[in-house]
Amino acid sequence: MYKKLLKTVAATSMAASLLLAGCSKDTKDANAGAKEKKDDPNEKVTLTFWDENAGPQRTPIWEELIKRFHDKNPNITVEYVGLPKDSAKQKYDAAIAANDTPDVASVQTSWLPEFSLREALLPLDSYFDKWEDKEKINKGSLDFNKKIVADNKLYGIPYTQNLDILWVRPDWFKEANVQIPENWDDFFGAVEKLADKDKNRYGYTIRGGAGGSFQLQRMMYAYSGINDYIKDGKSTINDPKHAEFLKKYFALYKKFTPQSDITNDYKAMIAGFDTGAVAMVQHNIGSFGEHSKALQPDQFQAIPLPKTADGKYVAEGGNTIGISVFKGTKHPDAAWKLASFLNSKDSQSYWNQQVGQIPTNSEVLGEDWIKESPHIQTAFKVYDDKDTVLYQPPFYLPEYRSILDTVVDPGTQAVLSGKMTIEEFLNEWAQAMEKAQAQYDEHFKK
Amino acid sequence: MNGAQKRLDKLFTFNIPILIMLMFTVFPLYWTINTAFKHEGDILKRPLQYVPASPTIENFVSAWTNVGFATYFKNSLIVGICTVVIVIILSILSGYALARYRFKGKRAFLLMLLCTQFIPRSMLIIPLFIVFKHLGLISHPLSLILTYAAVEIPFTTVLMNGFISNVPRELEEAAMIDGCNRMQALRYVIFPLLVPGIVATSVFTFIYTWNEFLLALMLTNQQGRFTLPVGLSYMMGEFNINYGALAAGSVIALIPAVILFSYAQKHLVNGLGGAVKG
Repeated sequence: MYKKLLKTVAATSMAASLLLAGCSKDTKDANAGAKEKKDDPNEKVTLTFWDENAGPQRTPIWEELIKRFHDKNPNITVEYVGLPKDSAKQKYDAAIAANDTPDVASVQTSWLPEFSLREALLPLDSYFDKWEDKEKINKGSLDFNKKIVADNKLYGIPYTQNLDILWVRPDWFKEANVQIPENWDDFFGAVEKLADKDKNRYGYTIRGGAGGSFQLQRMMYAYSGINDYIKDGKSTINDPKHAEFLKKYFALYKKFTPQSDITNDYKAMIAGFDTGAVAMVQHNIGSFGEHSKALQPDQFQAIPLPKTADGKYVAEGGNTIGISVFKGTKHPDAAWKLASFLNSKDSQSYWNQQVGQIPTNSEVLGEDWIKESPHIQTAFKVYDDKDTVLYQPPFYLPEYRSILDTVVDPGTQAVLSGKMTIEEFLNEWAQAMEKAQAQYDEHFKK
Repeated sequence: MNGAQKRLDKLFTFNIPILIMLMFTVFPLYWTINTAFKHEGDILKRPLQYVPASPTIENFVSAWTNVGFATYFKNSLIVGICTVVIVIILSILSGYALARYRFKGKRAFLLMLLCTQFIPRSMLIIPLFIVFKHLGLISHPLSLILTYAAVEIPFTTVLMNGFISNVPRELEEAAMIDGCNRMQALRYVIFPLLVPGIVATSVFTFIYTWNEFLLALMLTNQQGRFTLPVGLSYMMGEFNINYGALAAGSVIALIPAVILFSYAQKHLVNGLGGAVKG
């Protein structure tokens, strides 16, 4: 009996070690692949493209662009794989861990530092430098992408950018004879004036549920005007100005905003605005399509986040999504062909017009559809203002996203339910960021 | 008076609670079906339409043809049926061993089987992905079939152990005296008596594979190989939800489960009763 057991254990461990040995060999080979191979331009090639935000709106757009690419490059076939947004990061993580990545993919800027640290992406600098359209891509967003990765190389070319704004009900403002807010005093005043519980109307809605952290920090920095997220190892999150803002902001809860805000996720928050229950909602220009489906054109309007006390707009740097090529690709030249095609004038114009976001290719900016889209004009107003402050969140910290998800989202709910003070919340948040920064500095011996 | 009191008691302890429960379970179902038959413009329109003003099947057509539900449905069916067959065969054999043989560590083994159910599925993703990649099975239905079978077998083995323990040992012994070997006794005597248990186990396994999302997404890298739950997630973009096609897709996905339950209902109650008794 025991002999049998011993044999089984020995056999299992041998099998396991063989499997592990197999893994390590394969990993080396795959990493070497991308560097050594040079594509034959006429060779029949199949590329895989992953979309990190598939859905009824975006999937057909990518499919159309892929079709256009194939028409131009008949020897290259692109297989589209759409991933639901909520699980996309997990899927990329598994693929990187198993070294089974796509050739080309849409990658959020905030993922670049982690993916580059894990050596999953192909640096695009040499390809980009030879590209005829290189001057046309927004330099600020390219520089940002280089700045946030440890080796300052280019791992993603942004094809779209976004901006957080306020969506407001101009008809209600008119009806109540209230000015559209330009600064924070106007904003808090308007929330109060537009709330009318008899009519079942609220002045504003707070995103207290999943994903609320991103919006909350954009509001905080828009109020304070601080442009360093972390300075000399200290986070500015618990700056007194942020505490001052949150005291005013969270005081709106239940008084002028719905009680359900504490669990508000994106869909619930937007539904509140689109069904005529709230007067203002903070989101980005990407939700234009939703509002235009549910409301009449004169019932919604995009306005910038209010200006700071000294009259400046604030926006978050790196609010972009880019095209990246993965290191594991066996056809780097064809992959670059696709990446550059997706960033060309026509592709960016088509994609951004359909989605309602801002292209990064300067050639598109003069097109009529941009001039006729008031919400994109609003975004331009902010990005073009020479005084606009661009604060830079530490995307390069591998823990950045998990801190927002596990410290800030539950912390917001704890404050809203009265279980935590604003100071405790901000200190916990700042400490988590500082700890992650210290670990990062230690790792890279800064 | 006594009769009236009884009726009143029944009203408060049975009828009203059942009605409330039904409202919670039936209303979402009704609303899904209602939405599936509405035109896109009518779905979010106020006042709400409790019955579609002009019913349409365009959402079903769009889900089935444009979104690719026909493919996802076929994939789910293949994965579901194959998993059920593997799970049933293996859990009958392992359940039989647990019910009929005495061996050292039997209780510990049973406990271990139950403990496997506590492992979060998301922890398995990366190891499984690596294993299947080396086996060349990523995006192959076999990766899902093997994973689902491995996930389900421990639980179904425990269930089967309960069912088989309920079958009197003497029946088998009588068959063996008449010349059957152990496998024949299992095949001709035990198996027919296990039908309610097998139906219950099959339904559980099938419903699990039919609804599973995370592993189905993670172990598949090709659009044409995704299963229904992944297909349904395509209806929900970050800023855009196709409610009509989503509802129609959900109704399509519900059909096999409803057919299965209505067919297996009687066996299910008997089967579960048996397992609990065991």
